[in-house]
Amino acid sequence: MTKIVMTVDDAATMRKMVGFTLRGGGYDVLEACDGNDALAQLAQRRVDLVITDVNMPGMNGIDLVRHLRALPHLRTTPILLLTTESDAEAKNRARQAGATGWIVKPFVPGQLLAAVARVVQSPVAPVA
Amino acid sequence: MNADLQQQFVQDMLTESFEGLDRYDRAILALERNEADAETLNNIFRVVHTLKGTAGCLGFQHIQRVTHAGENLLDLLRAGERRVAPPIISALLRLSDALRALLQHLAAAGTDDAPLDTAPLIAELNRLGAEPAPESAAGSASLPSTEPVAPVEIASPAAPPPVDADAGWGLFDPAPAAEAPPVAAAGTPSAPPPAAKPGPAPSAPAPSAAALAATATVRVDVALLDRLMNLVGELVLSRNQLMQLASGRQVRPEAVAELSQRLNLVTTELQEGVMKTRMQPIGNVWSKFPRIVRDIARELGKEVELETVGATTELDRTIIEAIRDPLTHVIRNSIDHGVELPAVRVAAGKRPAGRIVMRAYHEGGQVNIEIGDDGAGINLARVRQKAVERNLLGPAELAALSDREALQLVFLPGFSTAEKITNVSGRGVGMDVVKTNIEKIGGSVDLQSAPGQGTALKIKIPLTLAIVPALIVRVGTERFAIPQVSLLELVRHESSGGRSACEYVYGAPVFRLRGQLLPLVFLDEQLRSRPAGAPPRVDLNIVVLQADQRSFGLVVDDVLDTEEIVVKPLGKHLKSLPMFAGATIMGDGKIALILDVFGLAQHARVLVDNSDRPRAATAAADAAAAGPRRQLLLFSLPGRERLALPLEQASRLEEIPADRIEHSGARELVQYRGRIMPLVRLDRHLSGEPPVPGSAEPLQVIVCQHGDRTVGLVVGRIRDIFEEAYELQPGSAAPGLLGSAIVQGRITDFVDAPAILRAAGFDAALAA
Repeated sequence: MTKIVMTVDDAATMRKMVGFTLRGGGYDVLEACDGNDALAQLAQRRVDLVITDVNMPGMNGIDLVRHLRALPHLRTTPILLLTTESDAEAKNRARQAGATGWIVKPFVPGQLLAAVARVVQSPVAPVA
Repeated sequence: MNADLQQQFVQDMLTESFEGLDRYDRAILALERNEADAETLNNIFRVVHTLKGTAGCLGFQHIQRVTHAGENLLDLLRAGERRVAPPIISALLRLSDALRALLQHLAAAGTDDAPLDTAPLIAELNRLGAEPAPESAAGSASLPSTEPVAPVEIASPAAPPPVDADAGWGLFDPAPAAEAPPVAAAGTPSAPPPAAKPGPAPSAPAPSAAALAATATVRVDVALLDRLMNLVGELVLSRNQLMQLASGRQVRPEAVAELSQRLNLVTTELQEGVMKTRMQPIGNVWSKFPRIVRDIARELGKEVELETVGATTELDRTIIEAIRDPLTHVIRNSIDHGVELPAVRVAAGKRPAGRIVMRAYHEGGQVNIEIGDDGAGINLARVRQKAVERNLLGPAELAALSDREALQLVFLPGFSTAEKITNVSGRGVGMDVVKTNIEKIGGSVDLQSAPGQGTALKIKIPLTLAIVPALIVRVGTERFAIPQVSLLELVRHESSGGRSACEYVYGAPVFRLRGQLLPLVFLDEQLRSRPAGAPPRVDLNIVVLQADQRSFGLVVDDVLDTEEIVVKPLGKHLKSLPMFAGATIMGDGKIALILDVFGLAQHARVLVDNSDRPRAATAAADAAAAGPRRQLLLFSLPGRERLALPLEQASRLEEIPADRIEHSGARELVQYRGRIMPLVRLDRHLSGEPPVPGSAEPLQVIVCQHGDRTVGLVVGRIRDIFEEAYELQPGSAAPGLLGSAIVQGRITDFVDAPAILRAAGFDAALAA
């Protein structure tokens, strides 16, 4: 069964790059352009992983994590934050909101796939 | 990532970032004006933040370094730890300039390795962020302090966010997997995906420059795209029907009619739909202006507010591109020459800040753009003076110009009224270039100015250049299309008695149209397609065209129909022909060339007289300026082409056969309405030449009342009667002439009829 990952980012280029990397790694990818879009798409369905940007208009990534965690069917779904902010304070807030982990951008594809593989726990073909 | 894909991402990033930076500039300016709300700073931050992330992933380290410094400062502003202050605003604007430059270099060269020294900017951004640094200890993580500023960035360019070891990725403690420790433990140097890895650099093969620059993108509304797809579906169905019809033996005419109607409908809708995808709001161009206005105003020590109305007005994107530079130039001009310095404005009782309003709206299938300022207006005295200094006009010609005409002088090539050439406008690009560029895309420019109140420029441009309504004409066996924007009217003149209506002035063919001489251009002569032995034309089909605000008549063999034509560009080898603007394919599948009216006019030399341009532009409107309009009778004598007499001095115009002249001594007399009317030959009094005796031609006679006597003035030829305002200047001192004036754009001598009659021996007083 192919795993489904949702990527949430207001920057289309970033969303595409994440999507491309993950598709190359054998995942199905859903895209959402901000927190509200992600919430709407995930209201009724499950995914295997959510990767969200932190800084987005409307609802930021950390609020999104909080909202997702409030939904019963997403209580245990892994959520990774994609962030340039590597400071401890931001990480702390993410952790408290219920995020599973973080990925610092810029990332290289291998790094992203390794992180995703770790949380989704599915064998992944190595990608150049 | 393969190269193609990388390139695609780079292209996406460029589009996204340029749009972002425009938003960024607007937001910064709002910040400067204290019009910002809480979200404004977040939006500014997000633009830089996003660019940093994307550039980082694609391996553009230069951009990443610059954005990183900006992001830090913005983060502090956002958190309220720094206050917005003028130096910060300036630095942030320089940041967007630098980023634009880097992105442009990236678009052109495929790398962000631009020859641009951003180190001072980075240092400045860091300094502004670092001032009172409350962050303690080794705060260099997100808050570089003053001393190690730049080195931090430059030393480890590959992994820009100053690295703590877990910068790559990590999981929080209660991770789902048991073996979290090796990865998540902060600071373990053995972590397998270490951030120290030489970054994303290897994934960045430089994409080819040309490919990057070539792929411009357009955003299209999804609903519109769906509708287009739907219409294309309809088109396919229609094609299928047509194919079926074509393969059938017998075709019912009704079926063809039905199908063609359907095709017509679908095509029209498709055309409109596709047009819409090319449409862009004019705001896309305007969005750059607040920044430009701010910078120029600063540079000149002026205060200017820019207001835009109708930013959502849509235009074809090729036209948007074409008006970008002219509009920018007009704005520069307005600030530089229009808006006064604050002190001057206050002294004139105005608010210290000048105001420029840009307005765009649709009107009659065209787009109007108005740019108005409330500045000093155009100084006409100086315009006139400059025109003489630059030898654009002679003093006499200049004196004859009305104010409105004088205003048009600024559109002449080589004109600039700036007292000194400033950095801002006098760069050799004048209003003439603005005008030419607008006219090139089928638009027109109108200038109005009121001293002390301001100047307004009105530009009219067509919605699109791809499909234009055109008039189809025929010359010989060829058909030509003339864009309707340049078309004024159609005149057909059928010869009466074998005489053509075409006359010649100094060898140039003209046609008299409602009292104006219209230069004629014979299309077949211009194209050298007239067969050698062709008989001269007698009937004239004249297409009256306007080029550069002058009209001329294009003589063709036949005027066919108006049609919407699709403009196809000409091949390179034909590009050098100025008379053609392109080609189109007609309903019967044959090709027709599209005439470039301006190019044609230039080729035919009907525009060469530059100094005549402003006058022609306003010939109709100058009445009020010079004085009351008077009716004039225009006639000629051999050797004197243009003589005029106020019409009220002539009671009738008669043609008298030569054999009706009777003689009484040296005096010539005719019987006229039962009375005796003496004749006075004007040429004897005006020109030294002896009259041509014994001519059998009928005489052209102006019947005048002199006292209570009726006298006939014999002239060469009556040319015209028209109404015009003029200003008489003492010109040639010849007896019998009152002076000269410029009427119909030409110097004309005015006849002093009473003086001539007195000289001929008729004394009004005695006769009474």
